[in-house]
Amino acid sequence: MWSTFIVTLKMNLRNKSSLFWLIVFPIALATMFNGVFGGLDKAMSITPVPVAVVQDTNWTNAVGADTLITALAGDGRTDKATGGDNADTTIGDIDIDIRLLDVTKVDSAAQARDLLTRGKTDGVIAADGDGRIALTLGSDTVATANNGTQDVGLDVSLAALDNVIDQYNRTSATVKTALKDNPTAALTRTFWNGIGSAMNGTKEISLTNFKPDVMARYYYALMGMACLLAMSYMIHTVTTAQANLSALGIRRTVAPLGRARQLLAGFLAGWLCSCACLLVALAYIRYVCGIAVGGREPLAVLAVVVASFMTCSFGTMIGAIPKLTDGVKQSISTAIACGLSLFSGLYGGFAMELSDLISRKVPLLAAINPTQQVTNLFYSLMYYDSTQPFIRTCAILLAMSAVFLMAGVIMLRRQRYEHL
Amino acid sequence: MTDITDTPAVHVSQLVKRYGDMVALDYFDLDVNQGEIFGLLGPNGSGKTTAINCILALLTYDAGTIRVFDQPMTPTSYALKRRIGIVPQNVAVFNELTVTENIDYFCSLYVPKKADRAPLVEEAIDFAGLQEFRKFRPGKLSGGLLRRLNIACGIAHRPDLIFFDEPTVAVDPQSRNAILEGIQKLNRDGATVIYTSHYMEEVEQICDRILIMDHGRHLALGIADELKAMIDTGERITIETFDLTDDALAAVRALPFVIEATYDGHELAVRCRRGDHNLVDLIGVLRGAGANLGHLTSRPPSLNDVFLELTGKALRD
Repeated sequence: MWSTFIVTLKMNLRNKSSLFWLIVFPIALATMFNGVFGGLDKAMSITPVPVAVVQDTNWTNAVGADTLITALAGDGRTDKATGGDNADTTIGDIDIDIRLLDVTKVDSAAQARDLLTRGKTDGVIAADGDGRIALTLGSDTVATANNGTQDVGLDVSLAALDNVIDQYNRTSATVKTALKDNPTAALTRTFWNGIGSAMNGTKEISLTNFKPDVMARYYYALMGMACLLAMSYMIHTVTTAQANLSALGIRRTVAPLGRARQLLAGFLAGWLCSCACLLVALAYIRYVCGIAVGGREPLAVLAVVVASFMTCSFGTMIGAIPKLTDGVKQSISTAIACGLSLFSGLYGGFAMELSDLISRKVPLLAAINPTQQVTNLFYSLMYYDSTQPFIRTCAILLAMSAVFLMAGVIMLRRQRYEHL
Repeated sequence: MTDITDTPAVHVSQLVKRYGDMVALDYFDLDVNQGEIFGLLGPNGSGKTTAINCILALLTYDAGTIRVFDQPMTPTSYALKRRIGIVPQNVAVFNELTVTENIDYFCSLYVPKKADRAPLVEEAIDFAGLQEFRKFRPGKLSGGLLRRLNIACGIAHRPDLIFFDEPTVAVDPQSRNAILEGIQKLNRDGATVIYTSHYMEEVEQICDRILIMDHGRHLALGIADELKAMIDTGERITIETFDLTDDALAAVRALPFVIEATYDGHELAVRCRRGDHNLVDLIGVLRGAGANLGHLTSRPPSLNDVFLELTGKALRD
């Protein structure tokens, strides 16, 4: 049995086709994902916009404008970090921990326009006689922001900036109106607290175990597909052990080593090889592509072990189908892996929506899709605080394995055949 | 030939195997003595491989008895299986393993201890003449070398009984001779060999006894000369002649010892009954008819003639 295990291991490791599909293919696809999706994070992030701030008389009269700009430029945070206390990094009750501006202070509008014309800045911030501040953008900046393929993140930063300045202007107008009607209000803390709380904004909080990563699901789905491709190991092992499936099977069947022991040795070797291949793919996705597994790497390894067991069981069942050649079975397994991957969302936004739709509307179909379940293994590690969903998914995969193995054993239990 | 003991290596009695309506083995009988090379001769589809697969407990069968070394053969008769080697009709080796690894693996199924099997593997490599190809994978071997590897994998564990199922199909003459000599050597070393083929020359060359079968039936059994003696055909005469007239051909066909005579414009072929003066009489008729004679051959009866006479068709049909 030991020699069968070693020989199967050698054969698996020398099988170039399997190595390609189990190692090269997922790495190549992950690299492609990384290239295509890698910029999306940056596109959704806020980057500082270089602006010229006109510090003329109007600016000096605009109460709080300087504080706002200082906060948006993140200068206060720097001071805070270094122990300084001369500036605040909050507006109302919202912490500003993101730099929105890269400020160049100028004395006149002409100087600001000059910087804008020379491309040194993307816009100009200035105050009018009423104390309202405005952001003026250069035409090139507007064009760039509207072009989705250029300068990732600029449009998001400008939208945020516009929102903040608008809030400042509205709050400023409200304060002026209130103080005009009731000049003594400024003396009360309640008034200023009320103004502060009137400021609203978007605050980032985490509801999940780990910071969500929209693209991670594609990589998890890729793991699901790679996992199913590992069926090829067991298909080859079973085919070459069965007298009714190959001449090699005849030779091995007439040997005095029981077939169950030969198949068990082959199964263990196949399991080990598929685990090793998938761990290589996982390591690449985790450490080269930077896709997290919720900080639960040991459980991710366990996920690979469980997923590999399932795929070896599946391969045993496909391999045991009588009257089909090894090549036909390998083709069937590839078709199954590619087909089921559609429903686990590997092939882009449409597939992802389809996968979500199936999970919502027909959860049973999602539950019996092995690629979906392998995807879910990693997904549950990433998003859930509890390990309960992960354990549940493991249980589903083990149940699937039991069904596949049972079907395989039923087909393999014959010791003599009607035909060879 | 080695000593033959009383207990048959293989005993098959009244074996019936049906594939649906088709009868593959029709009350087939077989007794192979220990120490002999036994030939199973029959055309493709005659039931040779089916008989072997039944004996090896690979196929179910509908009726009959099979005993190997006087014990019933079942899929779990591991002690018996340890004494058996098989060289299947199709090359059965792992393409991912080298020559040495293939032989070592198949030997390991019979001889688990590495130390015990290492000399056996070396012996098998030497036997098959694969010394220079130890590290080659099957994909790099020629057809003849592949067949030799196939044989080495089946005999490395030194079995007492070896089944060779058409081992020389698609093999060049040089490799074929090497294979046949190897089989004879195995037999000299004590192995009982069951050899199936549809090549009568091979069977005649190496087998001690021959069983001719067709349509799953046992047609005749004996040593080659006994089988040839069973038939009426004596010799086959071919004569090169370019001017044989129809009258001359008719005169040849009228000779009492002529079973069949054919002429294709340049060669006259005559199948004769047994007789002491067939050739002389035939030449006399042709000379009398004024035919000019060229190259002439006279060949004694072959196993193909035996098969032809028993079944009415040639062995290679």
